[in-house]
Amino acid sequence: MVKFQDVAKKFGSISALEDVSFEVEAGEFVFITGPSGAGKTTLVRLLLRDIMPDKGKILIEGKDIGSLKARDLPYYRRKVGVVFQDFKLLFGRTVWENVALALEVAGDGGNDEKRIKDALDEVGLLDRANLFPKQLAGGEQQRVVIARALVTRPKLILADEPTGNLDPATSRQIVELLDRQTKEDGTTVIMATHNENIVNSLKRRVILFRGGKIISDKKGAKYSE
Amino acid sequence: MMSYIKTARKHIRRSPYQALAAVLIMTLTFFVATILAILAYASHSTLRHFETQPQIIAFLKNEATSEQVSVLQKELDTDSRVRNVRYVSKEDALEIYRKATSDKPVLSELVSPKVFPASLEFSVTDLSFAEEVIREVEQKETVNQVAYTASLGNTKNIGEVVNNLRNITNYIRIGGLVLLGFLLTSSLLILLVILGMRISSRREEIEILQLIGATPGFIRAPFIFEGIFYALSGAFVGWLAATLGILYLTPSIASFFADIEVLPLTTQGLAMLLGAILGSELLLGLILGATGSFIALRRYLKI
Repeated sequence: MVKFQDVAKKFGSISALEDVSFEVEAGEFVFITGPSGAGKTTLVRLLLRDIMPDKGKILIEGKDIGSLKARDLPYYRRKVGVVFQDFKLLFGRTVWENVALALEVAGDGGNDEKRIKDALDEVGLLDRANLFPKQLAGGEQQRVVIARALVTRPKLILADEPTGNLDPATSRQIVELLDRQTKEDGTTVIMATHNENIVNSLKRRVILFRGGKIISDKKGAKYSE
Repeated sequence: MMSYIKTARKHIRRSPYQALAAVLIMTLTFFVATILAILAYASHSTLRHFETQPQIIAFLKNEATSEQVSVLQKELDTDSRVRNVRYVSKEDALEIYRKATSDKPVLSELVSPKVFPASLEFSVTDLSFAEEVIREVEQKETVNQVAYTASLGNTKNIGEVVNNLRNITNYIRIGGLVLLGFLLTSSLLILLVILGMRISSRREEIEILQLIGATPGFIRAPFIFEGIFYALSGAFVGWLAATLGILYLTPSIASFFADIEVLPLTTQGLAMLLGAILGSELLLGLILGATGSFIALRRYLKI
């Protein structure tokens, strides 16, 4: 599903990623961990093609996303669900409208009520559909973001520190929600986090980064390793 | 399409003062444009009125026989520089005098047709011919005197009258175009500033839309609709305000200019004129709004 081949990225003289190579199978849940500055967010931005690698290739379903033309980029991004630490919700739109936006953007007109309902039901926010994001708690806002990511039924979900601003209990709920996607729908999830408890409790594949390099890549590993 | 319009409507509702500023400047532009269009029409109508009126009157000598008059009339009729030749008998002349002095009937009672000369009234196809035609007609044996029907200010002949009118018409056209150009440029700049502010205040929203796969067209479309909405609203309101003013003033204008049809006198004619102006202004508004939006997007939204 996802393949990094000798990927390197520098910001000025600082090396964010150095010759990174790994592969993620379809339906796999992978934690990308490491301390701040390890290269986690750079990796997510590269996967979104928000930035381009200086070296190497990133293949999604066998296709090099670096070779995508600018006009094809939106269509690629529609296939990827993204969950951000800072939510990135539109605060002038209701919960329902935020979720519908992903369908609107995808050209489905945002009118597929069943899909929106299913997505909101999945994250347990159907009863909050008409509220605005500011009327929700942090964990609920993050669940709206997940619903927005799920509604287009993506094959790949990228989550960049999705629990960064949440309390432990809510963080746990969010990660379980994402984990359920891999178990029930076979969605591939790549989650960048430095939340030790979450990583350790889920016992999934963990790729540990430090200084832009992969230090370890093990299944069921612990963050502290 | 509806979704873009809906989004544009939301943008407008969220910043009503910016929207109001944009619509007001457009309204002012199109109000002035409507007034200028009406003025241009009125000056053109006035010019046409003087150009097509019998401008020259050749008063005939009393001793001229009907055969001589008929020869002269035929001669004028066949002259390619002359048109609308009409014979005015002494009786017709008295009738014209009576009408002109209808408020003082005693004046017309004191005169008989004999005192009025018969005449040939005609106009020229182009006023540049006026003076030479007048000179030629003055030489005719049957003609006593040649006169002009119009005067304006200190002008002495019809050529000057029409030249003055042409100058006025040209001033209105050129001055109007300059003023309109100035107003349209101001409107365009204000539209750019307002849309630039809109884009800046939605920078985060645009970034989110990009990250979830919105195409540049999806992001740009609401801004384009917004620009077009401002221009079209301004065009309509400006036209409406000017039209109401003109409709209110039409009776006074019509009575002030009397014979000169500065504005169409029939409801249908006036409706057609105002409709044509509205149509042109909506088209101009559409072009202005779309152009302003495209420039603003190129300048402020590099996606």
